[in-house]
Amino acid sequence: MNIQLDHAPCGYFSITSTGVIRSVNQTLAGMLGYDRQQLLDQHVETMMSVANKLFFHTYFYPYIQLYGHVKEMYFSLRTMEHQDVPVLLNGVQQERDGEVFIDCVVVEMRKRIEHEKDILHTKTKLEELYRATNEANQKLELLHAEYEAKQQELLRLNHQLEALASTDPLTGLRNRRFFQEQLLANIALFQRMRLPFSLLIVDIDHFKAINDTFGHPVGDAVLTDLGQMLRSMSRESDIVARYGGEEFVIIAPSSTRDNAKLAAERFRAQIEAATLGGCQVTVSIGVATMTSVDTDVTLLQKADQALYASKSNGRNRVTHAADRTEA
Amino acid sequence: MTMDFLTRNNVRVLGQGERAIVFAHGFGCDQTMWRHMVPYFEKQYRVVLFDYVGSGNSQLQYYHTDRYSDLHGYAQDLVEIMNTLRLSNAIFVGHSVSSMIGMLASIAHPQLFERLIMLGPSPRYMNDLPDYYGGFDERDIDELLQMMQMNFIGWASYLAPIVMQNAERSELASELERSFCSRDPHIAREFAEVTFRSDCRAELAHASIPSLILQCSDDSIAPIEVGNYLHAHLKNSTLLQMTAKGHYPHLSHPEETTSLIKHYLTSN
Repeated sequence: MNIQLDHAPCGYFSITSTGVIRSVNQTLAGMLGYDRQQLLDQHVETMMSVANKLFFHTYFYPYIQLYGHVKEMYFSLRTMEHQDVPVLLNGVQQERDGEVFIDCVVVEMRKRIEHEKDILHTKTKLEELYRATNEANQKLELLHAEYEAKQQELLRLNHQLEALASTDPLTGLRNRRFFQEQLLANIALFQRMRLPFSLLIVDIDHFKAINDTFGHPVGDAVLTDLGQMLRSMSRESDIVARYGGEEFVIIAPSSTRDNAKLAAERFRAQIEAATLGGCQVTVSIGVATMTSVDTDVTLLQKADQALYASKSNGRNRVTHAADRTEA
Repeated sequence: MTMDFLTRNNVRVLGQGERAIVFAHGFGCDQTMWRHMVPYFEKQYRVVLFDYVGSGNSQLQYYHTDRYSDLHGYAQDLVEIMNTLRLSNAIFVGHSVSSMIGMLASIAHPQLFERLIMLGPSPRYMNDLPDYYGGFDERDIDELLQMMQMNFIGWASYLAPIVMQNAERSELASELERSFCSRDPHIAREFAEVTFRSDCRAELAHASIPSLILQCSDDSIAPIEVGNYLHAHLKNSTLLQMTAKGHYPHLSHPEETTSLIKHYLTSN
Protein backbone atom coordinates (compact mmCIF):
# COMPACT_ATOMS: atom_id res chain seq x y z
CA MET A 1 0.00 0.00 0.00
CA ASN A 2 1.09 3.47 -0.84
CA ILE A 3 2.62 5.10 2.26
CA GLN A 4 0.44 8.17 1.97
CA LEU A 5 -2.74 6.06 2.04
CA ASP A 6 -1.31 3.87 4.76
CA HIS A 7 -0.93 6.83 7.09
CA ALA A 8 -3.71 9.03 5.74
CA PRO A 9 -5.75 10.81 8.43
CA CYS A 10 -8.63 8.40 7.91
CA GLY A 11 -9.13 4.69 8.19
CA TYR A 12 -9.17 2.73 4.95
CA PHE A 13 -10.16 -0.88 4.31
CA SER A 14 -11.17 -2.98 1.38
CA ILE A 15 -13.36 -6.08 1.59
CA THR A 16 -14.47 -8.70 -0.92
CA SER A 17 -18.13 -8.97 -1.86
CA THR A 18 -18.47 -11.60 0.84
CA GLY A 19 -17.00 -9.34 3.49
CA VAL A 20 -13.45 -10.67 3.81
CA ILE A 21 -10.90 -7.96 4.61
CA ARG A 22 -8.25 -7.73 1.84
CA SER A 23 -6.47 -4.57 2.90
CA VAL A 24 -6.35 -2.24 5.85
CA ASN A 25 -4.32 0.90 6.30
CA GLN A 26 -2.17 1.54 9.34
CA THR A 27 -4.41 4.36 10.55
CA LEU A 28 -7.42 2.01 10.87
CA ALA A 29 -5.42 -0.82 12.43
CA GLY A 30 -4.07 1.69 14.97
CA MET A 31 -7.53 3.16 15.58
CA LEU A 32 -8.81 -0.30 16.51
CA GLY A 33 -5.73 -1.46 18.37
CA TYR A 34 -4.87 -4.32 16.02
CA ASP A 35 -1.77 -5.30 14.10
CA ARG A 36 -2.61 -5.14 10.45
CA GLN A 37 -1.95 -8.87 10.09
CA GLN A 38 -4.62 -9.67 12.67
CA LEU A 39 -7.26 -8.10 10.47
CA LEU A 40 -6.24 -9.30 7.03
CA ASP A 41 -8.34 -12.18 5.72
CA GLN A 42 -10.73 -11.83 8.63
CA HIS A 43 -14.42 -11.12 8.08
CA VAL A 44 -15.31 -7.46 8.38
CA GLU A 45 -17.62 -8.40 11.27
CA THR A 46 -14.45 -8.79 13.36
CA MET A 47 -14.52 -5.02 13.70
CA MET A 48 -18.18 -4.85 14.75
CA SER A 49 -20.45 -5.36 17.74
CA VAL A 50 -23.58 -7.51 17.36
CA ALA A 51 -25.82 -4.50 16.79
CA ASN A 52 -23.42 -3.10 14.24
CA LYS A 53 -23.31 -6.39 12.39
CA LEU A 54 -27.08 -6.24 12.28
CA PHE A 55 -27.07 -2.71 11.02
CA PHE A 56 -24.32 -3.44 8.53
CA HIS A 57 -26.22 -6.37 7.08
CA THR A 58 -29.58 -4.67 7.10
CA TYR A 59 -28.56 -1.37 5.59
CA PHE A 60 -24.99 -1.05 4.41
CA TYR A 61 -24.72 -4.31 2.56
CA PRO A 62 -28.01 -4.32 0.61
CA TYR A 63 -27.65 -0.64 -0.15
CA ILE A 64 -24.18 -0.94 -1.64
CA GLN A 65 -25.27 -4.01 -3.58
CA LEU A 66 -28.13 -2.05 -5.12
CA TYR A 67 -26.64 1.40 -5.59
CA GLY A 68 -22.88 0.76 -5.67
CA HIS A 69 -22.04 3.25 -2.95
CA VAL A 70 -22.83 4.34 0.57
CA LYS A 71 -22.23 7.86 1.78
CA GLU A 72 -21.93 9.32 5.26
CA MET A 73 -23.23 6.38 7.21
CA TYR A 74 -22.95 6.77 10.93
CA PHE A 75 -21.43 3.60 12.21
CA SER A 76 -19.58 2.22 15.15
CA LEU A 77 -16.51 0.01 14.91
CA ARG A 78 -15.16 -2.14 17.70
CA THR A 79 -11.60 -2.19 18.91
CA MET A 80 -9.69 -5.31 19.89
CA GLU A 81 -10.51 -4.35 23.49
CA HIS A 82 -14.23 -4.22 22.61
CA GLN A 83 -14.44 -0.44 22.81
CA ASP A 84 -16.76 1.39 20.43
CA VAL A 85 -15.29 3.84 17.93
CA PRO A 86 -17.94 6.04 16.34
CA VAL A 87 -17.14 6.72 12.71
CA LEU A 88 -18.54 8.21 9.56
CA LEU A 89 -18.29 5.68 6.78
CA ASN A 90 -18.20 6.00 3.00
CA GLY A 91 -18.07 2.94 0.80
CA VAL A 92 -17.88 2.28 -2.90
CA GLN A 93 -18.12 -0.92 -4.88
CA GLN A 94 -15.27 -1.30 -7.39
CA GLU A 95 -14.15 -4.01 -9.76
CA ARG A 96 -10.44 -4.81 -9.98
CA ASP A 97 -9.03 -7.63 -12.12
CA GLY A 98 -12.47 -9.18 -12.45
CA GLU A 99 -13.12 -9.23 -8.74
CA VAL A 100 -15.60 -7.01 -6.91
CA PHE A 101 -14.35 -5.11 -3.85
CA ILE A 102 -15.99 -2.74 -1.45
CA ASP A 103 -13.56 0.04 -0.56
CA CYS A 104 -14.35 2.05 2.53
CA VAL A 105 -12.99 5.03 4.40
CA VAL A 106 -13.91 5.84 7.96
CA VAL A 107 -13.38 9.09 9.85
CA GLU A 108 -13.49 9.05 13.61
CA MET A 109 -16.21 11.28 14.97
CA ARG A 110 -15.64 11.27 18.71
CA LYS A 111 -16.15 15.03 19.11
CA ARG A 112 -18.90 15.19 16.54
CA ILE A 113 -20.77 12.34 18.16
CA GLU A 114 -20.87 14.21 21.44
CA HIS A 115 -22.61 17.11 19.69
CA GLU A 116 -25.00 14.73 18.02
CA LYS A 117 -25.75 13.00 21.28
CA ASP A 118 -26.53 16.41 22.76
CA ILE A 119 -28.90 17.09 19.92
CA LEU A 120 -30.45 13.66 20.34
CA HIS A 121 -30.89 14.32 24.02
CA THR A 122 -32.48 17.70 23.35
CA LYS A 123 -34.69 16.19 20.72
CA THR A 124 -35.86 13.46 23.09
CA LYS A 125 -36.61 16.10 25.70
CA LEU A 126 -38.46 18.18 23.12
CA GLU A 127 -40.54 15.19 22.20
CA GLU A 128 -41.40 14.62 25.83
CA LEU A 129 -42.16 18.29 26.29
CA TYR A 130 -44.32 18.33 23.22
CA ARG A 131 -46.21 15.28 24.45
CA ALA A 132 -46.67 16.82 27.90
CA THR A 133 -47.82 20.13 26.41
CA ASN A 134 -50.23 18.27 24.23
CA GLU A 135 -51.65 16.41 27.18
CA ALA A 136 -51.93 19.63 29.19
CA ASN A 137 -53.65 21.27 26.24
CA GLN A 138 -56.12 18.46 25.99
CA LYS A 139 -56.90 18.80 29.68
CA LEU A 140 -57.32 22.55 29.21
CA GLU A 141 -59.63 21.95 26.30
CA LEU A 142 -61.73 19.65 28.44
CA LEU A 143 -61.86 22.24 31.21
CA HIS A 144 -62.75 24.87 28.70
CA ALA A 145 -65.59 22.75 27.34
CA GLU A 146 -66.89 22.26 30.88
CA TYR A 147 -66.65 25.99 31.47
CA GLU A 148 -68.54 26.67 28.26
CA ALA A 149 -71.30 24.27 29.26
CA LYS A 150 -71.62 25.96 32.64
CA GLN A 151 -71.67 29.35 30.97
CA GLN A 152 -74.49 28.21 28.72
CA GLU A 153 -76.38 26.90 31.71
CA LEU A 154 -75.93 30.25 33.46
CA LEU A 155 -77.16 32.12 30.42
CA ARG A 156 -80.19 29.86 30.23
CA LEU A 157 -80.95 30.43 33.93
CA ASN A 158 -80.47 34.13 33.44
CA HIS A 159 -82.97 34.19 30.61
CA GLN A 160 -85.37 32.24 32.76
CA LEU A 161 -84.91 34.72 35.61
CA GLU A 162 -85.33 37.66 33.29
CA ALA A 163 -88.53 36.18 31.92
CA LEU A 164 -89.77 35.61 35.47
CA ALA A 165 -88.86 39.15 36.45
CA SER A 166 -90.75 40.59 33.52
CA THR A 167 -93.86 38.40 33.84
CA ASP A 168 -97.08 39.09 35.66
CA PRO A 169 -97.63 35.99 37.79
CA LEU A 170 -101.44 35.99 37.62
CA THR A 171 -102.05 36.43 33.91
CA GLY A 172 -98.73 35.28 32.50
CA LEU A 173 -98.59 38.53 30.53
CA ARG A 174 -95.60 40.87 30.62
CA ASN A 175 -95.54 43.06 33.73
CA ARG A 176 -95.36 46.80 34.17
CA ARG A 177 -91.57 46.84 34.42
CA PHE A 178 -91.18 45.14 31.08
CA PHE A 179 -93.79 47.45 29.57
CA GLN A 180 -91.86 50.51 30.73
CA GLU A 181 -88.67 49.21 29.13
CA GLN A 182 -90.42 48.48 25.88
CA LEU A 183 -92.13 51.84 25.87
CA LEU A 184 -88.76 53.59 26.15
CA ALA A 185 -87.33 51.33 23.46
CA ASN A 186 -90.19 52.14 21.11
CA ILE A 187 -89.83 55.85 21.78
CA ALA A 188 -86.14 55.65 21.00
CA LEU A 189 -86.91 53.84 17.77
CA PHE A 190 -89.54 56.47 16.92
CA GLN A 191 -87.04 59.23 17.47
CA ARG A 192 -84.36 57.61 15.38
CA MET A 193 -86.36 56.05 12.59
CA ARG A 194 -89.72 57.84 12.74
CA LEU A 195 -91.43 54.49 13.22
CA PRO A 196 -94.96 55.25 14.46
CA PHE A 197 -96.55 53.33 17.30
CA SER A 198 -99.62 53.61 19.48
CA LEU A 199 -100.38 52.90 23.10
CA LEU A 200 -103.66 51.38 24.30
CA ILE A 201 -104.85 51.31 27.90
CA VAL A 202 -107.62 48.77 28.48
CA ASP A 203 -109.62 48.96 31.69
CA ILE A 204 -112.41 46.57 32.75
CA ASP A 205 -115.67 48.35 33.45
CA HIS A 206 -117.10 47.94 36.93
CA PHE A 207 -114.45 45.44 37.95
CA LYS A 208 -114.91 46.29 41.66
CA ALA A 209 -118.52 45.12 41.41
CA ILE A 210 -117.42 41.73 39.97
CA ASN A 211 -115.02 41.27 42.86
CA ASP A 212 -117.61 42.31 45.40
CA THR A 213 -120.39 40.19 43.93
CA PHE A 214 -118.58 36.96 42.91
CA GLY A 215 -115.43 37.13 45.02
CA HIS A 216 -111.78 37.55 44.20
CA PRO A 217 -111.25 34.13 42.60
CA VAL A 218 -113.78 35.05 39.89
CA GLY A 219 -112.17 38.46 39.58
CA ASP A 220 -108.83 36.76 39.05
CA ALA A 221 -110.34 34.43 36.45
CA VAL A 222 -111.73 37.41 34.56
CA LEU A 223 -108.29 39.05 34.60
CA THR A 224 -106.59 35.87 33.42
CA ASP A 225 -109.08 35.23 30.62
CA LEU A 226 -108.94 38.83 29.47
CA GLY A 227 -105.15 38.65 29.43
CA GLN A 228 -105.29 35.55 27.20
CA MET A 229 -107.85 37.13 24.95
CA LEU A 230 -105.84 40.33 24.48
CA ARG A 231 -102.78 38.23 23.69
CA SER A 232 -104.65 36.19 21.09
CA MET A 233 -106.28 39.21 19.47
CA SER A 234 -103.07 41.19 19.17
CA ARG A 235 -100.27 40.80 16.68
CA GLU A 236 -97.04 39.01 17.36
CA SER A 237 -95.17 42.31 17.48
CA ASP A 238 -97.57 43.90 19.98
CA ILE A 239 -96.49 44.12 23.60
CA VAL A 240 -99.38 43.16 25.86
CA ALA A 241 -98.81 43.79 29.57
CA ARG A 242 -100.72 44.05 32.79
CA TYR A 243 -100.27 47.57 34.06
CA GLY A 244 -101.82 46.98 37.45
CA GLY A 245 -105.23 46.04 38.95
CA GLU A 246 -107.73 45.69 36.11
CA GLU A 247 -105.67 47.83 33.73
CA PHE A 248 -103.87 46.39 30.70
CA VAL A 249 -101.59 48.17 28.25
CA ILE A 250 -100.73 47.35 24.68
CA ILE A 251 -97.88 48.85 22.66
CA ALA A 252 -98.76 48.47 19.01
CA PRO A 253 -95.64 49.12 16.90
CA SER A 254 -96.11 50.74 13.50
CA SER A 255 -99.74 51.47 14.30
CA THR A 256 -100.95 54.91 13.22
CA ARG A 257 -103.84 56.70 14.84
CA ASP A 258 -106.49 55.17 12.56
CA ASN A 259 -105.11 51.64 12.71
CA ALA A 260 -104.82 51.84 16.48
CA LYS A 261 -108.43 53.00 16.79
CA LEU A 262 -109.63 50.20 14.52
CA ALA A 263 -107.72 47.60 16.55
CA ALA A 264 -109.01 49.02 19.82
CA GLU A 265 -112.55 48.95 18.56
CA ARG A 266 -112.12 45.33 17.44
CA PHE A 267 -110.82 44.42 20.92
CA ARG A 268 -113.68 46.18 22.62
CA ALA A 269 -116.34 44.51 20.46
CA GLN A 270 -114.90 41.01 20.82
CA ILE A 271 -114.56 41.38 24.59
CA GLU A 272 -118.14 42.52 24.85
CA ALA A 273 -119.25 39.42 22.93
CA ALA A 274 -117.11 37.01 24.99
CA THR A 275 -117.55 35.35 28.36
CA LEU A 276 -114.54 35.90 30.62
CA GLY A 277 -114.23 33.98 33.90
CA GLY A 278 -117.91 33.10 33.56
CA CYS A 279 -118.88 36.78 33.40
CA GLN A 280 -119.98 39.21 30.74
CA VAL A 281 -117.68 42.20 30.91
CA THR A 282 -116.99 45.28 28.89
CA VAL A 283 -113.87 47.39 28.67
CA SER A 284 -113.08 51.04 28.15
CA ILE A 285 -110.03 51.84 26.06
CA GLY A 286 -107.86 54.93 25.78
CA VAL A 287 -105.54 55.23 22.81
CA ALA A 288 -102.63 57.57 22.13
CA THR A 289 -100.31 57.64 19.15
CA MET A 290 -96.72 58.78 19.58
CA THR A 291 -95.86 62.23 18.24
CA SER A 292 -92.55 64.02 18.08
CA VAL A 293 -93.32 66.14 21.12
CA ASP A 294 -94.19 63.18 23.36
CA THR A 295 -92.18 61.54 26.11
CA ASP A 296 -93.09 58.34 27.92
CA VAL A 297 -94.82 60.43 30.57
CA THR A 298 -96.88 62.56 28.21
CA LEU A 299 -97.84 59.58 26.04
CA LEU A 300 -99.09 57.66 29.06
CA GLN A 301 -100.88 60.74 30.29
CA LYS A 302 -102.63 61.19 26.94
CA ALA A 303 -103.72 57.55 26.82
CA ASP A 304 -104.90 57.77 30.40
CA GLN A 305 -106.92 60.89 29.73
CA ALA A 306 -108.47 59.22 26.66
CA LEU A 307 -109.39 56.26 28.89
CA TYR A 308 -110.92 58.65 31.39
CA ALA A 309 -112.96 60.18 28.55
CA SER A 310 -114.22 56.69 27.55
CA LYS A 311 -115.24 56.07 31.13
CA SER A 312 -116.99 59.36 31.59
CA ASN A 313 -118.79 59.07 28.26
CA GLY A 314 -120.55 55.89 29.43
CA ARG A 315 -117.86 53.16 29.33
CA ASN A 316 -117.55 50.26 26.81
CA ARG A 317 -116.01 52.53 24.23
CA VAL A 318 -112.77 53.62 22.61
CA THR A 319 -111.33 57.09 22.71
CA HIS A 320 -108.20 58.33 20.94
CA ALA A 321 -106.35 61.11 22.68
CA ALA A 322 -106.07 63.12 19.47
CA ASP A 323 -109.85 63.05 18.94
CA ARG A 324 -110.30 64.31 22.46
CA THR A 325 -108.05 67.32 21.95
CA GLU A 326 -109.74 68.14 18.67
CA ALA A 327 -113.17 67.83 20.19
CA MET B 1 -65.88 0.44 -0.80
CA THR B 2 -62.99 -1.97 -0.97
CA MET B 3 -59.45 -0.95 -0.30
CA ASP B 4 -57.14 -1.20 -3.26
CA PHE B 5 -54.65 -3.65 -1.80
CA LEU B 6 -52.64 -3.77 -5.01
CA THR B 7 -51.93 -0.05 -4.89
CA ARG B 8 -51.52 -0.03 -1.14
CA ASN B 9 -48.76 -2.63 -1.30
CA ASN B 10 -47.28 -1.51 -4.64
CA VAL B 11 -47.92 -5.00 -6.05
CA ARG B 12 -46.25 -5.95 -9.33
CA VAL B 13 -46.98 -9.11 -11.27
CA LEU B 14 -44.43 -10.19 -13.88
CA GLY B 15 -43.65 -13.15 -16.08
CA GLN B 16 -45.69 -15.97 -17.48
CA GLY B 17 -46.56 -19.39 -16.27
CA GLU B 18 -49.39 -20.92 -14.33
CA ARG B 19 -47.83 -21.24 -10.95
CA ALA B 20 -47.42 -18.15 -8.89
CA ILE B 21 -44.33 -17.39 -6.86
CA VAL B 22 -44.58 -14.60 -4.31
CA PHE B 23 -41.39 -12.86 -3.18
CA ALA B 24 -41.61 -11.08 0.17
CA HIS B 25 -38.86 -8.72 1.31
CA GLY B 26 -37.47 -8.52 4.82
CA PHE B 27 -36.96 -5.75 7.34
CA GLY B 28 -35.23 -2.64 6.02
CA CYS B 29 -35.77 -3.63 2.40
CA ASP B 30 -38.34 -3.49 -0.34
CA GLN B 31 -39.16 -5.47 -3.47
CA THR B 32 -36.09 -4.15 -5.34
CA MET B 33 -34.05 -6.63 -3.26
CA TRP B 34 -35.39 -9.37 -5.55
CA ARG B 35 -34.17 -7.86 -8.77
CA HIS B 36 -31.34 -10.34 -9.30
CA MET B 37 -33.71 -13.26 -8.70
CA VAL B 38 -36.70 -12.25 -10.82
CA PRO B 39 -35.05 -12.92 -14.23
CA TYR B 40 -34.51 -16.55 -13.25
CA PHE B 41 -38.18 -17.11 -12.51
CA GLU B 42 -40.23 -14.96 -14.84
CA LYS B 43 -40.12 -17.35 -17.79
CA GLN B 44 -41.70 -20.17 -15.81
CA TYR B 45 -43.74 -18.44 -13.12
CA ARG B 46 -46.08 -15.61 -12.48
CA VAL B 47 -43.82 -13.57 -10.24
CA VAL B 48 -45.56 -11.47 -7.59
CA LEU B 49 -43.61 -8.65 -5.93
CA PHE B 50 -44.87 -6.22 -3.31
CA ASP B 51 -43.83 -3.86 -0.51
CA TYR B 52 -45.21 -4.22 2.99
CA VAL B 53 -47.18 -1.21 4.16
CA GLY B 54 -44.58 1.26 5.42
CA SER B 55 -41.82 -0.03 3.14
CA GLY B 56 -40.72 0.81 -0.40
CA ASN B 57 -43.40 2.48 -2.46
CA SER B 58 -46.35 1.30 -0.42
CA GLN B 59 -49.05 3.80 0.54
CA LEU B 60 -47.88 5.10 3.90
CA GLN B 61 -51.29 6.44 4.91
CA TYR B 62 -52.44 2.87 5.48
CA TYR B 63 -49.82 2.34 8.15
CA HIS B 64 -51.39 2.08 11.57
CA THR B 65 -49.33 1.26 14.63
CA ASP B 66 -52.09 -0.96 15.99
CA ARG B 67 -52.31 -3.14 12.92
CA TYR B 68 -48.57 -3.52 12.46
CA SER B 69 -47.68 -3.93 16.10
CA ASP B 70 -46.89 -7.58 15.49
CA LEU B 71 -46.14 -9.82 12.53
CA HIS B 72 -49.80 -10.80 12.10
CA GLY B 73 -50.53 -7.37 10.65
CA TYR B 74 -47.90 -7.95 7.98
CA ALA B 75 -49.23 -11.47 7.40
CA GLN B 76 -52.63 -9.85 6.81
CA ASP B 77 -51.07 -7.69 4.05
CA LEU B 78 -49.83 -10.84 2.37
CA VAL B 79 -53.18 -12.66 2.64
CA GLU B 80 -55.08 -9.66 1.26
CA ILE B 81 -52.75 -9.40 -1.72
CA MET B 82 -52.97 -13.13 -2.48
CA ASN B 83 -56.75 -13.11 -2.18
CA THR B 84 -57.05 -10.08 -4.43
CA LEU B 85 -54.90 -11.81 -7.06
CA ARG B 86 -57.01 -15.00 -6.61
CA LEU B 87 -53.87 -17.01 -5.88
CA SER B 88 -53.93 -20.47 -4.40
CA ASN B 89 -51.26 -23.11 -3.91
CA ALA B 90 -48.64 -20.47 -4.52
CA ILE B 91 -44.93 -20.73 -3.79
CA PHE B 92 -43.85 -18.24 -1.21
CA VAL B 93 -40.28 -16.98 -0.88
CA GLY B 94 -39.66 -14.91 2.21
CA HIS B 95 -36.45 -13.26 3.25
CA SER B 96 -35.56 -13.05 6.92
CA VAL B 97 -38.57 -11.86 8.95
CA SER B 98 -40.81 -12.47 5.94
CA SER B 99 -40.27 -16.20 6.32
CA MET B 100 -42.18 -16.07 9.57
CA ILE B 101 -44.77 -13.67 8.11
CA GLY B 102 -45.41 -16.21 5.33
CA MET B 103 -45.58 -19.04 7.83
CA LEU B 104 -48.14 -17.17 9.96
CA ALA B 105 -50.23 -16.52 6.84
CA SER B 106 -49.98 -20.20 5.88
CA ILE B 107 -51.28 -21.30 9.28
CA ALA B 108 -54.37 -19.11 8.92
CA HIS B 109 -54.89 -19.76 5.19
CA PRO B 110 -53.12 -22.99 4.18
CA GLN B 111 -54.97 -23.19 0.85
CA LEU B 112 -53.03 -20.15 -0.41
CA PHE B 113 -49.66 -21.88 -0.14
CA GLU B 114 -48.02 -24.93 -1.62
CA ARG B 115 -44.43 -24.39 -0.54
CA LEU B 116 -42.65 -21.95 1.73
CA ILE B 117 -39.06 -20.99 0.93
CA MET B 118 -37.34 -19.31 3.86
CA LEU B 119 -34.15 -17.31 3.29
CA GLY B 120 -32.27 -16.75 6.54
CA PRO B 121 -35.35 -17.23 8.74
CA SER B 122 -35.50 -16.86 12.50
CA PRO B 123 -38.47 -17.62 14.76
CA ARG B 124 -36.95 -15.39 17.41
CA TYR B 125 -33.98 -13.05 17.12
CA MET B 126 -33.46 -12.52 20.80
CA ASN B 127 -31.81 -14.98 23.12
CA ASP B 128 -33.96 -16.85 25.59
CA LEU B 129 -31.17 -18.59 27.43
CA PRO B 130 -30.50 -21.29 28.34
CA ASP B 131 -33.17 -22.92 26.13
CA TYR B 132 -32.86 -20.81 23.05
CA TYR B 133 -30.07 -18.98 21.28
CA GLY B 134 -31.28 -16.31 18.86
CA GLY B 135 -28.08 -14.29 18.60
CA PHE B 136 -29.23 -10.97 20.12
CA ASP B 137 -29.89 -9.53 23.50
CA GLU B 138 -31.79 -6.42 24.58
CA ARG B 139 -28.69 -4.21 24.51
CA ASP B 140 -27.98 -5.12 20.90
CA ILE B 141 -31.50 -4.20 19.83
CA ASP B 142 -31.31 -0.84 21.60
CA GLU B 143 -27.96 -0.15 19.97
CA LEU B 144 -29.40 -1.01 16.58
CA LEU B 145 -32.37 1.30 17.09
CA GLN B 146 -30.05 4.13 18.03
CA MET B 147 -27.83 3.43 15.05
CA MET B 148 -30.88 3.58 12.80
CA GLN B 149 -32.01 6.82 14.34
CA MET B 150 -28.64 8.50 13.90
CA ASN B 151 -28.65 7.56 10.24
CA PHE B 152 -32.03 9.05 9.41
CA ILE B 153 -31.80 12.13 7.27
CA GLY B 154 -33.17 14.96 9.35
CA TRP B 155 -33.26 12.88 12.51
CA ALA B 156 -32.39 15.87 14.66
CA SER B 157 -35.44 17.85 13.57
CA TYR B 158 -37.66 14.81 13.35
CA LEU B 159 -40.08 14.99 16.25
CA ALA B 160 -41.98 11.74 16.31
CA PRO B 161 -45.17 12.95 18.00
CA ILE B 162 -45.51 15.78 15.51
CA VAL B 163 -44.85 13.68 12.47
CA MET B 164 -47.26 11.03 13.68
CA GLN B 165 -49.98 13.62 13.56
CA ASN B 166 -49.30 14.53 9.95
CA ALA B 167 -51.43 12.28 7.80
CA GLU B 168 -49.70 13.61 4.72
CA ARG B 169 -46.08 12.61 4.94
CA SER B 170 -45.09 12.79 1.31
CA GLU B 171 -42.72 15.71 1.75
CA LEU B 172 -40.87 13.90 4.48
CA ALA B 173 -41.07 10.70 2.51
CA SER B 174 -39.29 12.14 -0.49
CA GLU B 175 -36.64 13.66 1.73
CA LEU B 176 -35.95 10.31 3.30
CA GLU B 177 -36.16 8.34 0.12
CA ARG B 178 -33.12 6.26 -0.54
CA SER B 179 -31.82 6.92 2.92
CA PHE B 180 -30.67 3.88 4.79
CA CYS B 181 -33.74 3.42 6.84
CA SER B 182 -36.72 3.41 4.51
CA ARG B 183 -38.98 6.32 3.81
CA ASP B 184 -40.45 6.86 7.20
CA PRO B 185 -38.17 6.62 10.23
CA HIS B 186 -41.07 6.18 12.62
CA ILE B 187 -42.37 3.17 10.69
CA ALA B 188 -38.86 1.79 10.17
CA ARG B 189 -38.26 1.92 13.89
CA GLU B 190 -41.54 0.19 14.66
CA PHE B 191 -40.86 -2.47 12.04
CA ALA B 192 -37.42 -2.99 13.59
CA GLU B 193 -38.91 -3.42 17.04
CA VAL B 194 -41.66 -5.73 15.81
CA THR B 195 -39.12 -7.80 13.91
CA PHE B 196 -36.43 -8.11 16.52
CA ARG B 197 -38.82 -8.63 19.40
CA SER B 198 -40.96 -11.16 17.52
CA ASP B 199 -41.30 -14.68 18.83
CA CYS B 200 -42.92 -17.26 16.56
CA ARG B 201 -41.68 -20.35 18.38
CA ALA B 202 -45.13 -21.26 19.65
CA GLU B 203 -46.63 -21.08 16.16
CA LEU B 204 -44.11 -23.44 14.55
CA ALA B 205 -46.08 -26.51 15.63
CA HIS B 206 -49.18 -25.29 13.77
CA ALA B 207 -47.47 -24.89 10.41
CA SER B 208 -48.11 -27.67 7.91
CA ILE B 209 -47.04 -26.37 4.50
CA PRO B 210 -43.77 -28.01 3.35
CA SER B 211 -40.90 -25.60 3.69
CA LEU B 212 -37.31 -25.14 2.63
CA ILE B 213 -34.97 -23.41 5.06
CA LEU B 214 -32.00 -21.87 3.27
CA GLN B 215 -29.33 -21.36 5.88
CA CYS B 216 -26.44 -19.12 4.88
CA SER B 217 -23.02 -19.74 6.23
CA ASP B 218 -21.71 -17.03 8.53
CA ASP B 219 -25.11 -15.42 8.85
CA SER B 220 -24.76 -13.21 11.90
CA ILE B 221 -28.45 -12.30 11.87
CA ALA B 222 -29.79 -15.84 11.63
CA PRO B 223 -26.98 -18.12 12.87
CA ILE B 224 -26.89 -21.86 12.28
CA GLU B 225 -28.26 -22.60 15.76
CA VAL B 226 -31.44 -20.79 14.73
CA GLY B 227 -31.68 -22.72 11.47
CA ASN B 228 -31.29 -26.00 13.32
CA TYR B 229 -33.92 -25.04 15.87
CA LEU B 230 -36.36 -24.12 13.14
CA HIS B 231 -35.76 -27.32 11.23
CA ALA B 232 -36.29 -29.38 14.37
CA HIS B 233 -39.59 -27.68 15.21
CA LEU B 234 -41.09 -27.18 11.78
CA LYS B 235 -42.65 -30.31 10.35
CA ASN B 236 -42.22 -31.00 6.63
CA SER B 237 -39.16 -28.76 6.58
CA THR B 238 -35.93 -29.24 4.66
CA LEU B 239 -32.78 -27.50 5.84
CA LEU B 240 -30.11 -26.64 3.29
CA GLN B 241 -26.80 -25.09 4.17
CA MET B 242 -25.73 -22.64 1.49
CA THR B 243 -22.19 -21.82 0.54
CA ALA B 244 -23.40 -18.22 0.27
CA LYS B 245 -22.27 -16.14 3.18
CA GLY B 246 -24.09 -13.36 4.95
CA HIS B 247 -27.76 -12.62 5.24
CA TYR B 248 -28.63 -11.60 1.69
CA PRO B 249 -28.03 -14.63 -0.55
CA HIS B 250 -30.58 -13.33 -3.06
CA LEU B 251 -28.39 -10.26 -3.55
CA SER B 252 -24.96 -11.79 -3.22
CA HIS B 253 -25.58 -15.24 -4.71
CA PRO B 254 -28.71 -15.13 -6.85
CA GLU B 255 -27.60 -18.13 -8.98
CA GLU B 256 -27.00 -20.46 -6.06
CA THR B 257 -30.18 -19.30 -4.35
CA THR B 258 -32.20 -19.81 -7.51
CA SER B 259 -30.84 -23.26 -8.26
CA LEU B 260 -31.48 -24.48 -4.71
CA ILE B 261 -35.06 -23.20 -4.83
CA LYS B 262 -35.72 -24.69 -8.27
CA HIS B 263 -34.20 -28.00 -7.30
CA TYR B 264 -36.39 -28.14 -4.20
CA LEU B 265 -39.50 -27.28 -6.17
CA THR B 266 -38.92 -29.90 -8.84
CA SER B 267 -37.73 -32.73 -6.63
CA ASN B 268 -40.49 -32.52 -4.03
